[in-house]
Amino acid sequence: METKGIVFKGNAEGLVIVIPEDYAYEDILQEIDNKVSKASRFFKGAKIKVTYRGYQLTPSQEQEVKKVLDEKSGAIIESFTREEVKTPTFQENNRVKTIRNFFSTSSDEGNCKFIRNTVRNGTRIDFNGHVVVLGDVNPGAEIIATGNVVVLGTLRGMVHAGARGDKDAFIYALKLLPTQIRIAEAIARMPEEDIADDGLVRPEMATAKDGRIIVEQF
Amino acid sequence: MGEVIVITSGKGGVGKTTTTANIGTGLAVHGKKVVLIDTDIGLRNLDVVMGLENRIVYDLVDVVEGTCRLKQALIKDKRFDGLYLLPAAQTRDKNSVSPEQMMWLCDELRKEFDYILIDCPAGIEQGFKNAIAGADRAIVITTPEVSAVRDADRIIGLLESQEIRNPRLLINRVRPDMVKRGDMMSMEDIVDILAIKMIGVVPDDENIIISTNRGEPAVIDNKSLAGQAYRNITKRVMGEDVPLLDLNVSDGFLSKMKKLFGFKSA
Repeated sequence: METKGIVFKGNAEGLVIVIPEDYAYEDILQEIDNKVSKASRFFKGAKIKVTYRGYQLTPSQEQEVKKVLDEKSGAIIESFTREEVKTPTFQENNRVKTIRNFFSTSSDEGNCKFIRNTVRNGTRIDFNGHVVVLGDVNPGAEIIATGNVVVLGTLRGMVHAGARGDKDAFIYALKLLPTQIRIAEAIARMPEEDIADDGLVRPEMATAKDGRIIVEQF
Repeated sequence: MGEVIVITSGKGGVGKTTTTANIGTGLAVHGKKVVLIDTDIGLRNLDVVMGLENRIVYDLVDVVEGTCRLKQALIKDKRFDGLYLLPAAQTRDKNSVSPEQMMWLCDELRKEFDYILIDCPAGIEQGFKNAIAGADRAIVITTPEVSAVRDADRIIGLLESQEIRNPRLLINRVRPDMVKRGDMMSMEDIVDILAIKMIGVVPDDENIIISTNRGEPAVIDNKSLAGQAYRNITKRVMGEDVPLLDLNVSDGFLSKMKKLFGFKSA
């Protein structure tokens, strides 16, 4: 019966209480009281927003539940409201966004390594995060990063961005003439025909889309 | 105190030994006291190029193992007074010498000589580590071939990691006609990739093969264009500012006339 009862869930903003529709109001109050009291050590001192879904409480009932939460959990309950139901697509987008921010796995943030010289043949740079090279990456050099790779110079070697599977990772270079580039599981190499290096700086960015690498001027 | 310069390339056959012989001889022409060390143990060649093969009694391994004194192993050149060769052992391998022993050797020679030139073996293993151990400066040799430039790039990276900063680049066996046709990498292309300063360009010259086989460095041959290039490089090693050699002198009579009258040569 426990599993069918009231369920507490954590999400990006705080806590969600799922209340079965067929519950009686007195039972709801009782069960929340029990559960929160048992877990009071867990909640103690936390500042949380609580929403609920399922059973429709009246405004006065909401006040009563908030009071129970406040008193029994030891946490500071910032608000207690019914979860807003949004259109599915919007909700989906929003969810992805909030989870990113919450765990800070955004592919635009995180650890970064700066390399202030030319990365030469035989050098391998393995880094958990983003890599910025202030210089060239020569043929035979390898840069493997879990995040993005930016080369402020000519990229002639091999670069693997998003090496742990981040498909949103990108590779950027002032001159993109690599032996090979990889983003997550996608691999691309230069066309066989010689691309004339006319000496002009033409910054380009490589991203992955549907398992293929796309290079665009940027 | 003398200066220790290692001549290295990574790739084999690009002209390390020839360059060592020519710069060394060039420096001796200018009255410097010079010693050339062949560190290519097991595959020694510098003695042959210098024409001193038949004078070898003791070698580098004998010196570091204490079989003989350092002075006993130094072979005096036949032509120039201040020029000596310390040959490699032919019947041993690269592991017979350690980087510490090379550092000791270089420090000993520094007291006596103005320049100590080290002829490095090809590759990046023990022999390379030995050769660069005692060096203050480095000259990296490449030819205008993609594979040689790749290896030079690797070598420059390894030199930098060993705190041998600012190595200089020597581009060997350049053929101006092929560069002009776009069939050979130009000096600019190579410098663009390797991103280090150049010390000189040596044209592809058959006189080099002739002189190497004879055991007489081309640098003393006034008719050879490559010899001229090495004479200029020698001056740059000594710190003089010499402009780069114009390699286009092999043009025919007609194009010289055209140039004279202001026509653009084809």
